[in-house]
Amino acid sequence: MTSMTRSFQRFSALLYKEMVQILRDRRTLMLFFLLPVIELFLFAYAVSLNVYHLPTALVDQSMDVRSRDFVDALVKSNYFDITQTYQNEQQVIQAIDAGEVKAGVIIPPNFAEDVNSGQGNVLILLDGSDSFSVQSGYNGASAITQAYSINLTTQAVKKSGGGAVLLAGVNNTPITTATRVLYNPDLRDLVFLLPGLIALIIQNIIVAHSAMAVVREREVGTFEQILATPARPIEMILSKLIPGMLVVMVDMAFILTLGVFWFNVPINGSIVALVVWSLLFIVSGMALGLLISSVSKTQRQAQQITAVLNMFTLLLSGFIYSRSSMPVWTQIVGDIIPLTFYLKIIRGIITKGVGSAYLTSDILALVIYSVVALVFAAAVFKKRLD
Amino acid sequence: MLQRVLAIVQKEFSQALRDRVTLVIMLTMPLLQLILLGYAINMNVRHIPTVVADQSLDQTSRNYLHAMVNSEYFDIAATAPDQAAVIQAIDAGRQQVGIVIPPDFAEHVKRGDAQVLVLVDGADMFTSISASTAADIIGQAQSIAVISDRVTRSGSGASLSSLPALNAHLRVLYNPDMLTLWFIIPGMAAMLLQTQTIVLTAVAVVKEREVGTIEQILVTPIRPIELMIGKVVPYMVIALVNMLSIIAIGVFWFHVPFQGSFWLFIGLTFVYIFSGLGLGLLISTVSQNQRQAQQLIMLFMMVGMVLGGFVFPRYTMPAAIRLVGNLFPLTYFVPISRGIITKGVGLAQLGSDVLSLLVYIVVVMFLAARTFRKRLD
Repeated sequence: MTSMTRSFQRFSALLYKEMVQILRDRRTLMLFFLLPVIELFLFAYAVSLNVYHLPTALVDQSMDVRSRDFVDALVKSNYFDITQTYQNEQQVIQAIDAGEVKAGVIIPPNFAEDVNSGQGNVLILLDGSDSFSVQSGYNGASAITQAYSINLTTQAVKKSGGGAVLLAGVNNTPITTATRVLYNPDLRDLVFLLPGLIALIIQNIIVAHSAMAVVREREVGTFEQILATPARPIEMILSKLIPGMLVVMVDMAFILTLGVFWFNVPINGSIVALVVWSLLFIVSGMALGLLISSVSKTQRQAQQITAVLNMFTLLLSGFIYSRSSMPVWTQIVGDIIPLTFYLKIIRGIITKGVGSAYLTSDILALVIYSVVALVFAAAVFKKRLD
Repeated sequence: MLQRVLAIVQKEFSQALRDRVTLVIMLTMPLLQLILLGYAINMNVRHIPTVVADQSLDQTSRNYLHAMVNSEYFDIAATAPDQAAVIQAIDAGRQQVGIVIPPDFAEHVKRGDAQVLVLVDGADMFTSISASTAADIIGQAQSIAVISDRVTRSGSGASLSSLPALNAHLRVLYNPDMLTLWFIIPGMAAMLLQTQTIVLTAVAVVKEREVGTIEQILVTPIRPIELMIGKVVPYMVIALVNMLSIIAIGVFWFHVPFQGSFWLFIGLTFVYIFSGLGLGLLISTVSQNQRQAQQLIMLFMMVGMVLGGFVFPRYTMPAAIRLVGNLFPLTYFVPISRGIITKGVGLAQLGSDVLSLLVYIVVVMFLAARTFRKRLD
């Protein structure tokens, strides 16, 4: 027998063993086949770069034909949905601070007259903590204004039939928009990016760490030893939290420092608030990881689930693709990720510099999230013991 | 209760401190990720590599190109004689945008019927959106400049009838309506499969080591490289089924047209799957326990997804970051997948990426076998 055929024999024996091993674990096998399909469906619907229907606040101080026409053009473009109306700029900024709207349109008094004399001026405010909203808001607003202006000019030219108006029309278009991007006036990519990136990295490490916690002991067998002690399930779960939390807090301090001093991204809000709510986020991430850990039978299953979660987080949490342009059901799926809530908190504090009062709903969501996930983890854990 | 919690906390601590490698990985990984991703992610796509076919070479055409370059959206990376050569360059993925200026451009601008053709690579979403928006705006601005110049000189409205003096005709190749799903599906198939393959094999070796069954294999006459290949092959079947189901859904449910050769695609998918499984295997042999493998998977997945060119185009990334991106099979398969599915090109245009994947497989399998052997001693 040549060494080649012997090698092939050894190889096929090994192959057979691997096949048997894979086929025996039916549940994992099913996961392997189904996951990519499910992911494809979710992500394909969620990913969209054209952000339409930006929730927008309107201040119309003219309320005349021209202003209504202009607002109509904005809404018809599908870029902006007017969801709120206010009296002044201050209120619009407050609404953007609180994250209720992503854009604001402010039309000053006497708009019609100004337009007719070629000096119409509209102020567009955009939420600078969300890159996609800013970009599409920016493009949308300028495209619409230009189209509207050209429309008005050609009308005027037709009426007067002379070149004099054209000259005026070309040199000073009847409407100009001033676009102001709040929080990030220079449109620096890193200002958009960094808070979300920090949150993403932290969630990854934390879930990866805690997802292995329980299932590992179960697989290696040391679990039995702990069960012999009088420790209760919830106590065990809690104690699994603490060392990991410390490590992750050090991580968080590292990358925040790097962000502020190396990438020059300022923290506009209160550092104390940031630390406190980050702790809450860490707890919620841990809780999710522990839940995964107690649900999984093997470390491999835990790994698979975290890998999927990882992709969900990248694409559904609002970190890259704006959640306002996703269908409702993918938004709901996104709600199983703690990052979805924390993203608004960390962008609120670092980029917008708002206080906790503006972030209550997301903070509350994280609290509820942590409690539910922890209780679940303990319950599943208990069940597994029987 | 507190006492009991404290006791377990203490146990967890000493466990965490004993596994130094995992601890170091946990502490340094976030920094690494932040730096890599911080430089890699670029929301404003600029400096798009552009190929120009300027058949006029006069003052007006130079002015127009100058405006395009000044906008910082387009970098002229190559010149071509005609439209066919421009499309070839985009087919092969060398440049993402092409500008074709017909002969006698200055004359036509004067007469007000000048046409510029801007071709955009519709296989990449960010590029398409960014390029088409920019080209529109620049074309309009140029038109307005030309008209107002003329109106000022003549002082009359006579030229009004020829309002657009310069008509930038925009064509998005491969995906003329810029449908998001057409952009997304080919790249997403590649991304989902990379994750899948890494996860499939990343625990293959380390698990046997942790559970202890590796000793049983070691007493057999099996050689390391045989063991490595034996670990990979069964998973190739799973990953291939994954790819087939993704493509089937893409084509039949999402109606994404499949332009190129299906069999070529399947053949190259095999190569790609092998490389991904090899990477997972390498992770598995390097890790001491499943927990370390888990941390490494996370790092590779996240960084690989972002640097691979699926979400953000690679030409916007700094050179050093692009080099890191070369460590992931996804980087080579995204152009292949988009090339075959969206563009409908063949091996001739994809040669370098296919070659890279083959080299990748050899290197990764060799490294995995070597690390494994070293670990045995």
